[in-house]
Amino acid sequence: MKKLDLRLLRMIKASKGQFISVVVIIMVALSIFISFSTTAVNMRNGIDYYYEETKLSHIHVQLMRIPQSALDQIESIEGVTDVQGRVTFDVPLKTEDEEEKVRIRIISLPEGGGKVNRLYSDETLDEIAQGNAILIRQFAEARNITPGNIIQPYINGREHSLKVTGVASSSEFVYLMENEQTMMPAPEKFGVVYVTEEFAQSVYGYKGSYNELLIRVKDEDMIDDVSEELEERLDKYGVKRIIKREDQLSHKILSQELMGLDTMAAAIPILFLVVAGIIISIVLSRIVSNDRMSIGVLKALGYGNMDVLFHYLKYALFIGLTGSALGILIGLSLAGVLSELYAMFFEIPLLKVDIQYIYIIYSLILTSLFCIASGLMGARHVLGIMPADSMRPEPPKSGKHIFIEKITFIWSRLSFSWKMVIRNIVRMKRRFVFLVMGLAMAFAINTVPVFMWDSATGMFYIQFGQFQKMDYIIGLAKPMSEDVIYDIKGLMKDGKLEPRIEYPFEIRNGWKKMNASIIGVPRDTKFYEFRNEYDKEVTLPERGIFITEYMAKALNIKKGDHVRVKNFIPGKDDMDFQVKEIIKQYLGANAYMDIEHMRETLTEKNMITGVAASSKEDLKTKLEDAKNISSISSIDDMTKTFEEYIDIMLLSINIMMLFGGVLGFALIYNSTIISIAERRMELAALRVMGFDKKEIFWMLAKENSMITFIAILLGIPVGIGMIQSMADAFNTELYSLPIIITPRTFVMAGLSTILFAAIAQLAALKKIHNINFIDALKSRIS
Amino acid sequence: MEKTLQIKVENLSKFYQMGEVQVKALDDVSFEIYEGEFVVILGPSGSGKSTLLNIMGGMDLPTSGRVLIADEEITKYNDTKLTAYRRDKVGFVFQFYNLMANLTARENVELAAEICKDTMDIDEVMAEVDLSERKNHFPSQMSGGEQQRVAIARAVAKNPLLILCDEPTGALDFKTGILILALLRKINKKLNKTVVVITHNMAVGDMADRVIKMRSGKITEIKVNPEPIPPERIEW
Repeated sequence: MKKLDLRLLRMIKASKGQFISVVVIIMVALSIFISFSTTAVNMRNGIDYYYEETKLSHIHVQLMRIPQSALDQIESIEGVTDVQGRVTFDVPLKTEDEEEKVRIRIISLPEGGGKVNRLYSDETLDEIAQGNAILIRQFAEARNITPGNIIQPYINGREHSLKVTGVASSSEFVYLMENEQTMMPAPEKFGVVYVTEEFAQSVYGYKGSYNELLIRVKDEDMIDDVSEELEERLDKYGVKRIIKREDQLSHKILSQELMGLDTMAAAIPILFLVVAGIIISIVLSRIVSNDRMSIGVLKALGYGNMDVLFHYLKYALFIGLTGSALGILIGLSLAGVLSELYAMFFEIPLLKVDIQYIYIIYSLILTSLFCIASGLMGARHVLGIMPADSMRPEPPKSGKHIFIEKITFIWSRLSFSWKMVIRNIVRMKRRFVFLVMGLAMAFAINTVPVFMWDSATGMFYIQFGQFQKMDYIIGLAKPMSEDVIYDIKGLMKDGKLEPRIEYPFEIRNGWKKMNASIIGVPRDTKFYEFRNEYDKEVTLPERGIFITEYMAKALNIKKGDHVRVKNFIPGKDDMDFQVKEIIKQYLGANAYMDIEHMRETLTEKNMITGVAASSKEDLKTKLEDAKNISSISSIDDMTKTFEEYIDIMLLSINIMMLFGGVLGFALIYNSTIISIAERRMELAALRVMGFDKKEIFWMLAKENSMITFIAILLGIPVGIGMIQSMADAFNTELYSLPIIITPRTFVMAGLSTILFAAIAQLAALKKIHNINFIDALKSRIS
Repeated sequence: MEKTLQIKVENLSKFYQMGEVQVKALDDVSFEIYEGEFVVILGPSGSGKSTLLNIMGGMDLPTSGRVLIADEEITKYNDTKLTAYRRDKVGFVFQFYNLMANLTARENVELAAEICKDTMDIDEVMAEVDLSERKNHFPSQMSGGEQQRVAIARAVAKNPLLILCDEPTGALDFKTGILILALLRKINKKLNKTVVVITHNMAVGDMADRVIKMRSGKITEIKVNPEPIPPERIEW
């Protein structure tokens, strides 16, 4: 080995702590980059392949009723390659546990499995015979149902028995959720059951007709055009919703998840590499100034500027490559774990965990660039060292009066050690700026998990404690007269009921449009509370419409604008409404209207599609068998599911806190070690004068606490910015994170930052003990 | 025997600007050194001898004048050529040894040798400076004299044209100092290397073939010793 390289290795060995702390940061950065990117790519590949293998529909149409015979003319639409009709309906399933509420979606499957949305199974699936069913895998596994078992759904008030003959996966339900309102999959509570067309049609009263169409097109670019055409042609069949691939629930959540993964894969590693870069450049510039004489000697021996510069750059590169190697290895193994974690929520049977070599190459390039850049920043002074000058002892650091000294009022009140602290900070301006920047970033990273926690819990409890105060939302099997309320009331001992219409429409503003529900509630509703953008409580107007913030943003609507509501109900015209308020809502994106006004303009007189109820009784059990009721969602159940989910969240919050902490630790640890090494003589002199180790420790601690304090102050706006972009990134049609920032956010983040800074300071403590002050005063050799 | 001219210094000046004052570190200095000579440049501190050595060693550039080493005008060299010159033609020995603390004695010598083309055998050189036994020790485990011997080995191993020594005995006690001077003299004789030693110690002049005395940036005297005494007989 070259002797210069040997020297480098021994140098690294002598300062292991610093080396390891930076390597760890790079390792974390790259393991996140590799594992997240690899997982995202593998999932995308797996999904694309799965979708193509199973011929996932490009357009999914929900309508009132379409005769089988009408399918031919749909197939004749330009661009359409396949059309498949089916009957789909949601019903309760009988379970052993009376308390347990399980719902299933029954979907008809044509003979031979059809051409669109084919089921996938490793084993060959037999043709479904009359009275048999195939179960979706997630549900079958969650409920431990195997072929041969009998399931008993209630259909139209009657109990049916279906024999399970197979278990399969569907690309339509990669993420198995009942609807947009469900926040996360609960495979033991909701499943999909495939039956023969004949069975579904006969029990549901759809002989010879369908209520859903699955359409595949020649080219994905044609989805929009075909959808337009479908809208017109299917109008007479009572189109409810035309769902394009991008809006398809399972696909949409998957895409959002992957986008989130992409963002994290880019943002976190860059943040970490920046901090690693800051530390490398601080450490290197310290090493170079310490090695001034050695550099002079090397140059005198005939080593060129580039030889010497490269010698120090290798330090940065070596850190980078060690960190990369570890990060890549960990990242690759984490990619497997992460994929498995995703497999818990997303059923992608054709998912392959491949190594994406391109990301390994990206990692190496990215880290090398960062390390070389920060290495050059730190080591560039090598070039200015003249061999002749370097042999002479370095002139003392220029001690200057600093501006605070002019404010005698403050300065005269400071103790001697505080004066030294402040002078030291001012003396090392550049390093001080870097350190503060890095720590501010570490602090800001810490604010994000605190915010996420507050926001997610806030989102839920505000939505269901404040904005929606009902205990149950009951859905009817089909739109009915409001009189049905009395029937339901008759079944209840106590509590309140409110009529409710929830109906899907297309809401347009110019060329921007969105499929969403309009919910009609009484103007004097006791269950809903509406708050506008300025958090002022508002009441539903007699005429006009309220829309949620997300929708307003998506459609670019301001208060007072008009929107067009496209009506899918046969015989009903499209209508324009004025937007009276933009209201806050964290879960779901929809619009609200006065129920009377809605009936007059959009739906039928006296009609409701459901009721909102508050009751101390367990309405779920009570109303389960009631005719005409298709769904009962209990806020209580949702809260329970949410609280389970929160536990998972807590884990990722802790991990993020740890990340921020690692950064803070590495920054303070390195800077303290450098401060000690740099000021060995100064500190030794203090020791000789009678300062004890504890006093010196406190002096350095004062310096660090001042840096930490300033960093936290500056970190507050950075944190707010980070939180804002985080909230923006997570804003979707399904939910939006409320920006809840309280002093607690910063106190918590600050405490965590201070904790890690303190640990780092203590870790550096032993270096103070190691100063032999007599040696330090004599030594001139590096 | 016809002596070959090796170093020719012509009208060399070096001025520094220190605030308002111009410091004349070297003021129109000229002299010649021949191959295989042992030269001592004598002068009190501040006389400009270190500046002169630095320019001769290609570590610094003059304000005016020329230095020719084996007919090559090194004062015209750019940075790259100066580096190559230091690498292949010169060996330095410094007052404070300036060894790499985290390399062993032998590694310190190799560090210098491995960038040169035509080097001497490292183990032979180590034997020459009598450090065969101590070659795997780190500088911190060695005495000053031993460290200076490593430094000399480092300079010699490169197989340079000339060896430039800046106060090589300055940090050593008398006895060790004499040993170092004797070693330098031995190398000078045995390997026929030109050795230039700068020192403020007048006594060292007695062992030189040529003595150049300096004061305030000027040469006050150049003396050729017909019969230099062996270093062992020097006393101060």
